[in-house]
Amino acid sequence: MRPLTMPRTMAEEVSRDAEIAAAPPMIAIEGVSQIFKTAGRREHVAISSINLSIADGAFVSILGPSGCGKSTLLYIVGGFVVPTAGSIKVRGKAVTGPGPDRGPVFQEFALFPWKTVLGNVIYGLRQQGVPRAEAEERGHRLLAMVGLKGFEAFYPKELSGGMKQRVAIARTLAYNPSVLLMDEPFGALDAHTRTRLQNDLLDIWERDRKTVLFVTHAVDEAVYLSDKVVVMSRSPGRIKQVIDIDLPRPRRRAELLLDPHYQKYIVDIERLIEDAPEEAVHP
Amino acid sequence: MRATFPRDFTLGIIPILLIGALWQAIVAYGYAPPSLLPPPGQVFTRLAQQLVGLDYLAQAAATLLRLFVGFAIAVVLGIGIGLMAAVHRGVDAVVRPLVRVLAPVPKVALYPALLLLLGFDHASKIALVAADALFPILLSTYYGASTIEKKLVWSALAAGTPPRQVLYKVVLPAALPSILTGCRIGLVISCIVVFLAEMISSTDGLGYLLVRAARSFQTVDMFVPLISISLLGLVLNALFYCARRVLLRGFPEV
Amino acid sequence: MSAVAGEGGARRGFSIGPFTPLFACLGLLVVWQIGAMLLATDSIPTALEALRAVPDVLGSRDGLVNILDSIRRMAIGLSAAVVVSIPLGLVMGRLRAVAAFFNPILMVIYPVPKAALMPIIMLWLGVGDLSKTLVIFLAVTLPIIYHAFEGAKAVEEKMIWSGMAMGMSRVEILARIVLPAALPEILAGCRTGLVLALITMVTSEMIARKSGTGNILFNALDMGQYDTVFAMIIVIGALGIVLDAAFDRLRRLLVAWAETRQDIPLSFT
Repeated sequence: MRPLTMPRTMAEEVSRDAEIAAAPPMIAIEGVSQIFKTAGRREHVAISSINLSIADGAFVSILGPSGCGKSTLLYIVGGFVVPTAGSIKVRGKAVTGPGPDRGPVFQEFALFPWKTVLGNVIYGLRQQGVPRAEAEERGHRLLAMVGLKGFEAFYPKELSGGMKQRVAIARTLAYNPSVLLMDEPFGALDAHTRTRLQNDLLDIWERDRKTVLFVTHAVDEAVYLSDKVVVMSRSPGRIKQVIDIDLPRPRRRAELLLDPHYQKYIVDIERLIEDAPEEAVHP
Repeated sequence: MRATFPRDFTLGIIPILLIGALWQAIVAYGYAPPSLLPPPGQVFTRLAQQLVGLDYLAQAAATLLRLFVGFAIAVVLGIGIGLMAAVHRGVDAVVRPLVRVLAPVPKVALYPALLLLLGFDHASKIALVAADALFPILLSTYYGASTIEKKLVWSALAAGTPPRQVLYKVVLPAALPSILTGCRIGLVISCIVVFLAEMISSTDGLGYLLVRAARSFQTVDMFVPLISISLLGLVLNALFYCARRVLLRGFPEV
Repeated sequence: MSAVAGEGGARRGFSIGPFTPLFACLGLLVVWQIGAMLLATDSIPTALEALRAVPDVLGSRDGLVNILDSIRRMAIGLSAAVVVSIPLGLVMGRLRAVAAFFNPILMVIYPVPKAALMPIIMLWLGVGDLSKTLVIFLAVTLPIIYHAFEGAKAVEEKMIWSGMAMGMSRVEILARIVLPAALPEILAGCRTGLVLALITMVTSEMIARKSGTGNILFNALDMGQYDTVFAMIIVIGALGIVLDAAFDRLRRLLVAWAETRQDIPLSFT
């Protein structure tokens, strides 16, 4: 895998981090709670009092077991779900609904089946009023970037899972959101495809370092990809701990797997997750 | 599938041929008088004759007109109301109980009322066709629109689609398979209803032809409209199938 | 667009209150009343006038006999159709050869309104009960065959294999595995069949005017007794609603175990 940027020196890394810390957070999650009413009119507390600050350009994973509300938190940041309590501010402005500044990528791909691959990718551009010719040209470039050159006229149903997710990523990148919200995007793919896409995602991310909120239940994925890992507890979902991942970028899978620091992160985080007592699942 | 098509075809032809043979046999051996059951040859010759006759074509045209206009109204209303009810809670609250009450009512019972309101010509028949075809289209649109993948809507909203446009940019195309199923049912119902309405009370149309032939005991002429409506149904079905394949190109075969 | 762009995690309520259909009926009656008063023609009586005529129709000997005749014919036609169609549909669903055999001829018959066969059948069998019952029978068989076919086709192979492993014969498998598994789909077909039976019943009587609800309807129309016409419409409508509701109750009882797909079924008229 060829690096797209030269590896940063320690000094460069430190000064960049300081810059980020000084600026107001990209995403400010304040006191967010979400309560669902279940079928039996019971109340299910999905997440409770989440406070989180995410810096611009940070790759942050939200990690936790199934049902801990991590996807719900993502949807709230995306503006798709209105929280029962608390607020989200992006760049200081309150979130009131979905918008092109926060682009989602879903586990189910959610591609429009009635549109071709190219049609899907340029959807956001056309929404913004970009003329068709220009939109298509940008679409072609994006598809080349995600490795799908030549598939423009295909329909999503003709693609494999990994390819569909590449289209989904291209579609979201097309309208240039400042934040990428990724909801277990590689969960539906086989291990080999997952690895490839993780690497490709990192390559793409390295180009312009968007802020990424990445939900996953796989510890190794979280550690491999992120700058920070937010570990959530089981329902009611709370933040257990935020762990800084201090591993050099760009990250090489082969090297990392043998790196004792990486291994220690994995062991520590797994232990952290296991520590949660088995709470009874609310019927 | 290809390998078994010839076999399926031969198997399928057998009952039709058998019935044809049976029909011929019954007449030939005198089990039924030709006045009650004319031989198949006679019927089909008559059909071929009629198909180029002006009178017949005029009647068929009247039937087709009512059929298509009624169907078109049902499509527009059905899809419109179905979509609105699926996305808008207020509309839903009004539409669902109404549909629940009206759907099981045989709309043909309303036919006398329509005759009184709209007269004995095209309008009452068109109204009846529309009333009958409306419900399957509405129901399947509603079902399709309510069960689309939520994340499709979210993706569109995040890409900058104004909420008002989501209805026709995302919900409608995503619900299309279901909508088309309902339309197909509605089309068949339209065929059936227009024919019946013309039989019950009309001065023209294929259904009227049947009744007219019955009144003058012209048995052969009775078969012609029946076979016509069957052929019409088959042709429309085939056309619809083609249209569906084009419209649903991108959708996985369910 | 609140209902689709899922907000606040609230689940979309899929149940409507038990009284809302009642309100819908009342609403329709009110609209009718106002419309009729605005139109102010003799031929369209108001809702109240029509409702007042209902007990007359139901109370009169003639009316009651006609209605009961109708229901009787419908019941016989329906039962016969169910008994014949379900096995046929099931077998078609499991044996491709049988399906291939019957499919084309069914497709040819499908668009022909069975009530339209009345004049011909009347020639052969006269104007009595038999012709109308036969036509109802024919009308109902098609949807039930189709749904039984689809339901049987969709039964998981593995369930059948389990049965075979247990040593069940083909017939046993059909009756004890395929039938119950396909039951939800079959009942959906029966619901459609019920609606079709009702329609065919009314139309066959409109065409062969000798007895029945359709007969009353058009007799009254011919004689200008518009109150009776609309009263009869209300009666037929009520019959449809009641039968459908009763059937739905029954269906829910029989297939409570099935995952409920949706509240409003794809029933067609």
